[in-house]
Amino acid sequence: MTIDAIPGELLLHLQSVINSLPCDYAEARVALNESTMIALSGEEVDSISSGDSCGGSIRIFNRGAWSFGSFNDLSGIPARARALLRRSAMLAGSAPGVFRSKPVVAHFATRPARPCGSVSFDEKFSLMLGYNGILKKPALVQTTRSMYRDSGTVMLYCNTEGSAVTYERSFCGVSFTAIAKDGTLIQPFSESAAGYGGFELAQGREDMAEGATRMAVDLLHAEPVSGGVYDVVIDPHLAGVFIHEAFGHLSEADFIYENERMMEQMANGRRVGCDALCIIDDGSIEGLTGYIPIDDEGITPGPAHLVKNGVIRAHLHSRETAYRMDEEPTGNARAISSTAQPIVRMTNTYVANGPNSLDEMLAAAEGGLYVADALGGQTNLEMFTFSAGYGRLIKNGRPGRLFRDVMLSGNTFQTLANIGMIGNDRAMFGGLGGCGKKGQAPLPVSFGGPHLLVKNVLIGGKGR
Amino acid sequence: MKIDLPASLRDKCRWYDVIGLSGRSVPVSFRNNRLYSIAERESGGLGVRVNVGGRVGLSFTGTGENLEAAMRRAIEIAAYGEVENHRLPPESDTPAVDLDAGRLEEADIAPVLSAAEETIARILASFPEARIDMSISYGSGERHIVNSEGFEGSYRHSSFGAGITATMVSAGGVRLSVSEGVSSCAPVSYEAALERLLWKLERARNICRPPGGSIPVICTPKAFASLLGIVASGLSARSVFKGISPFAGKLGQRVFSEHFTLADDPLVDGSVYSYPFDDEGVPARTKKVIDRGEITEWISNLKYASRLGVRPSGNGSRGHSSLPEPSFSNLTVDGGNDDFDSLCAGVRSGVLVDQFIGLGQSNTLTGEFKANLDLAYAIENGEITGRVKDCMLSGNLFNLLAGDPVLSRERVRYGASLAPFVLFPAIHLTC
Repeated sequence: MTIDAIPGELLLHLQSVINSLPCDYAEARVALNESTMIALSGEEVDSISSGDSCGGSIRIFNRGAWSFGSFNDLSGIPARARALLRRSAMLAGSAPGVFRSKPVVAHFATRPARPCGSVSFDEKFSLMLGYNGILKKPALVQTTRSMYRDSGTVMLYCNTEGSAVTYERSFCGVSFTAIAKDGTLIQPFSESAAGYGGFELAQGREDMAEGATRMAVDLLHAEPVSGGVYDVVIDPHLAGVFIHEAFGHLSEADFIYENERMMEQMANGRRVGCDALCIIDDGSIEGLTGYIPIDDEGITPGPAHLVKNGVIRAHLHSRETAYRMDEEPTGNARAISSTAQPIVRMTNTYVANGPNSLDEMLAAAEGGLYVADALGGQTNLEMFTFSAGYGRLIKNGRPGRLFRDVMLSGNTFQTLANIGMIGNDRAMFGGLGGCGKKGQAPLPVSFGGPHLLVKNVLIGGKGR
Repeated sequence: MKIDLPASLRDKCRWYDVIGLSGRSVPVSFRNNRLYSIAERESGGLGVRVNVGGRVGLSFTGTGENLEAAMRRAIEIAAYGEVENHRLPPESDTPAVDLDAGRLEEADIAPVLSAAEETIARILASFPEARIDMSISYGSGERHIVNSEGFEGSYRHSSFGAGITATMVSAGGVRLSVSEGVSSCAPVSYEAALERLLWKLERARNICRPPGGSIPVICTPKAFASLLGIVASGLSARSVFKGISPFAGKLGQRVFSEHFTLADDPLVDGSVYSYPFDDEGVPARTKKVIDRGEITEWISNLKYASRLGVRPSGNGSRGHSSLPEPSFSNLTVDGGNDDFDSLCAGVRSGVLVDQFIGLGQSNTLTGEFKANLDLAYAIENGEITGRVKDCMLSGNLFNLLAGDPVLSRERVRYGASLAPFVLFPAIHLTC
């Protein structure tokens, strides 16, 4: 079967297969996908491709253990399902059960203004040539990478509770990297934007390309920041990365359950920050990169108030972790593709607006650093590190002198407790990249927050 | 797998090649000391690359039935592609390498499960509070490449890999997580990995104050392997051609210490990173890329070898849905004369680093790195005295390797890297 397969018929077929399986719970997912990619680099076309794929999986919960089988040939699903059932009979696992939910029978579709399938390759290519031209314009830019990606996917989901869902999803985005060079100094800077919709999401990004290339050149002449402990004002982008990396992952219940110490650390009712601190994950926000109408276990997402007024109030759940911890599922079981197993993941994660203005925060962090943008972040659940795109020394209440190579690190709870002020200017970020966990990457997510003032943050580098 | 393309499409191309990949595997996971899930995974697809009038296009599909349509799409978009004037390799003799231990995915699962249970029990015997996760995956697959110049090759490869992570969280919220792993073409014992894991856990029980400032640092083979990625990216013909490699223009020059020799070896028997020919059909060969500190060859695919005017190194790597890019196979670093104990014995006050966090986030193009220490130990007067944490190491890897690194005689394989311990006399630690 190919992308021309009729989704409705395929869904009925999947339903009949899983309903024939004598087990505690079963679900099936299939995705039919078409995608186009354009990558330009400097004067070269790095890669252009266009193709199709199809694949799916069946997951069975029986006797406390999961059995999972993925396939990319849609012709032998019933035999595969029976083999999986035989295997599950050999297992006795440790999961006490899975959370049961009401069936969802629905059809969802993103609403592209200009469906990518109706836009010629020529137009996509010309758009990217234009952006790449902006990126490579400064003389000090050594090379660039301008990437375009679109995909159209028909996703099917059904389970033994009677859920039957189809989702026609179109995704489109661009990313820009400029790499500036002067002598032995080499400085990259990247920006990206993506979302669910059509070609319109890739259009009109000239300012973003301009900004990326300008920053790469500016940073080339910035000095590396001196290491030490600073008070920092972090911008909405970096605030989002911080909350995703440092706290979001800690809230994922698969890291918490069955570990008494983690349960204590992440217990509901524990105070982790000041009264103004509210942290939310919400997969239901259409238009953001982490939007899902339904998760990969058929649960409808909604806002999960992980931290409310400084106190832990919720965790992110799959059906299994919700059952184990006796909490409501949050619709956070997500898989990178229809051939991967759902695990607990974030969606759109952010710090809600607080009472402070940026000026107040800058005044309170005199002599500290204003740090902005994010190159990436990583956590081991206790400690985190994340790299800012750049930093500026705060002098006379204003961000001034530019620094490069700013990497922040610390203990998560200490850092949350050190958030002294919360701004009122929240913005959200997402792009062609995404989040990685257990080998599943890049999963589309978004993150954000307002400006935050954080005291006593460790910045790596030679001593000041 | 049969690859059949109509002449009407073939005739439009100056050249073309088709890559077909297929594989099946059984991933097994243990979570929190117990069996959690067993999966069966099937993957595969076909990619067709065409050169039409000098320009290259690519299309791919999940199923063989759509290959013709994919080729038609590739021909259409090739008009926008890059000009590539190199040729594809003709039929040739390819070297032998031992990669196939049969259809492992069909093997009996019972011994796999019992070996994992035994491993978990061994860790719990010494560390009853540990939570152990294990991921094991075994299977086999096939790679098949056909091109318009008469090359047709395929090989089967099997793989067996296991990762073991033991985690302990103390009352104060201090988290200790140690990971070890093995991989091979055939089922392997976890014994050596388990011993290393227990050694690392044992020495991390107690937390000490790190020495600050500029101090001697020993990296374990695992930590060294992760640092090698920074060197490897600068040796790619792609980054050399793009002018973003700090080594561009330095072929044949001594850039590092004469103690540092790095080879790319796709012909290691039993490694899952080995191959008889690369993903463009170029026969595999073993080569030194850094010989006693001197850069001797770039890692290249056909495109960038042609751009730089060098002999292709046989390192074109791709999935079915992407164009080939230069990529290392097995990285091997020559060992030195001293053993690990004598490296330690010479350190009065320093650290032993095993796991970083945030290593890849620095501006690594220039060799700069900054990373927090996920797992590291204090060394006082030659003895490991306990774990150090909450500090960041920063330096320039290229300068460190050009300085006076001391490499150990012992070497350990981690994933694609076979590396020794390395002692750097001075790296800056911020606490």
